[in-house]
Amino acid sequence: MRSLAVRITNPLGLHARAAARFVHAAGAFSCQIRVACGSRVMDGKSIMGLLLLAAAHGTEIVIATDGPDEAAAIETLAQLVAGGFEP
Amino acid sequence: MKLTGLGVSPGVAVGRALVFRQHTFDIRFRVSPQAIDHELGRLQQARDRSRRQIVEIKDRIARTAGSDHAYLFEAQLLMLDDPMLADRAVHFIRAEHMNAEWAVRRAGEELTALFDQTADPYLRERKGDVADVMGRIRLNLRPQSASAQIPGSVEGPVVLVADELAPSTAAQVDWRRVVGFATDVGSWTYHTAILARSLHVPAVVGLHDASTRIPAGATVAVDGSSGEVIVDPSPDLLAQIDAWRSRDVEAERALEEFRHGPAVTADGVRIRLEANIERPEEVVVARKYGAEGIGLYRSEFLLIRGAGAGLATVDEDAQYAAYRTVLEQMAPERVTVRTFDVGEDDLYPGSGAAHLSRPVLGRRGIRLSLAHPDLFKTQLRALLRAARHGALRIMFPFVSGAEEIRAARAVLADAVDELRARGDTPPAVPVGIMIEVPSAALTADLLAADADFFSVGTNDLIQCCLAVDRSDDRVSRLYEPCHPAVLRVLRHVSRSARRAALPLSLCGEMAAEPGALALLIGLGITEFSMVPTAIPMAKRVIRDLRADEARRAAAKALRAATVADVERAVEAVRFTHNARRSDP
Repeated sequence: MRSLAVRITNPLGLHARAAARFVHAAGAFSCQIRVACGSRVMDGKSIMGLLLLAAAHGTEIVIATDGPDEAAAIETLAQLVAGGFEP
Repeated sequence: MKLTGLGVSPGVAVGRALVFRQHTFDIRFRVSPQAIDHELGRLQQARDRSRRQIVEIKDRIARTAGSDHAYLFEAQLLMLDDPMLADRAVHFIRAEHMNAEWAVRRAGEELTALFDQTADPYLRERKGDVADVMGRIRLNLRPQSASAQIPGSVEGPVVLVADELAPSTAAQVDWRRVVGFATDVGSWTYHTAILARSLHVPAVVGLHDASTRIPAGATVAVDGSSGEVIVDPSPDLLAQIDAWRSRDVEAERALEEFRHGPAVTADGVRIRLEANIERPEEVVVARKYGAEGIGLYRSEFLLIRGAGAGLATVDEDAQYAAYRTVLEQMAPERVTVRTFDVGEDDLYPGSGAAHLSRPVLGRRGIRLSLAHPDLFKTQLRALLRAARHGALRIMFPFVSGAEEIRAARAVLADAVDELRARGDTPPAVPVGIMIEVPSAALTADLLAADADFFSVGTNDLIQCCLAVDRSDDRVSRLYEPCHPAVLRVLRHVSRSARRAALPLSLCGEMAAEPGALALLIGLGITEFSMVPTAIPMAKRVIRDLRADEARRAAAKALRAATVADVERAVEAVRFTHNARRSDP
């Protein structure tokens, strides 16, 4: 199990497009992926869950991965968030 | 019959009405344990069908409107497979023996409730996507899915009239046949409005009840620039529409030509043009059309509507974020935020477009805010915190006298104290008022001592001044922006502001009309705020106009007894000063 805190840098926050990119990227890994924002924790492979985090620009989210490919998953996802969700 | 809504995609179109009402009937029942697998199979099939349809729509949108818009459907595809939706529906079938329709509905309701709880206004709008996906699955659960393309067998050009045009429905429309659309709900940032603009199809939304009032097959003219929808237009009007069309071609050209560079009259008077917006995302649109600032940022989208909610807003942090986004994106240009302007009736809405109708004479604007000081103070704290991120101005709506300004300033002072107690010292922010109630307009010289700026709201000022409710068909004809009484009131406000050296701007539809704009400039008003799309045309009008000529026309108009006389005075103004120079 690994976890990492990342700050949302794109102006619109974790909105539909960003969440879709995240879920797409997360879907490529077999490990369990959780995303936390404040007190809420959601399934990182659920677009609804990510949207409901309502993570705005500037907030910090914590990505946690657990499973065989957890290292690759956390690196990919953290980069995606840090890069403003641009592919 | 004429209906007025919000023009969200410019242009004029005429066609036959195809009335489309989204209605899905569900049957709910408990299935026998033996039938559970059958129900699960039905759900699976409906989801597979839905997936194929969404992929097809997504591809079509990517081809016609660009991949920028296709992501909405990308998100829908992910929603279709989302554990919070699919797994829940399966659970309801397995554990509670619900039939597939019911299970899908229940899962959707759960999600919608979660979305309702969030403070983020953007998110609450994503509910539409959830509803769209759920609606599609339910449609596909029907024995034979009727997914015929709109407009199907109707002849000739079609105007699509709908209660609500979900993105997926819009995507099934054959836009070569559909020349315009009109919907009961919606706002500038409504998905379908965005789509319509990208497809260059005129659209009017927020018409409340167009889908019940417009008979199917009627000839309908849609003016996406003015927000008007005319049913059974007269032959005269149809002839006029050709003129409108050429106006819109010109508007597009004007956009390219006048997007950049300042608005200066032919004789050198600098005019400032700002944009009215109602959502943070619209800053992009405002910038695109060359706005020099935000003259009216409506804050009502931060209110939480819903049965039993009463007057409630998203929390201070979420408000702060919404203000800050716009301030940062416009900096160093100024952003004028209008504090909540709703009436009590709006708080218990039947439709999503409730904010479009505001009672003219009720407890609204500053009156309502002063009646809810805690809520008002929360808004002011959020604004003050955001102030350091740009050039903020705070504006109180529907003020009718000095007492209200003083009371509102007292709440503002409390908000400042509360922030200081938290260790945060907010910067000083100019505080102004909307001049939209005749009592405020007529005492503008006195109110100048209590305000840092004025902004004239012509829509309400004209309604109140002429005692005409524009939503009442029987008297709406009497709504005359160029009524002599309106001009006199405006002259008084303009003079009062000038004598007190107070910044004065004007926001309202009036400024988007060339003749009226010339009159207003003639009355000494030099700052305007309007819908972003109107800015390029206004800039062109200004560059082709001489302010001294406008002043002479205004002086003449002020002596006119009738609207016709005012219009005659305006006709003397030539809008050709620069145009003539550039023409060979």
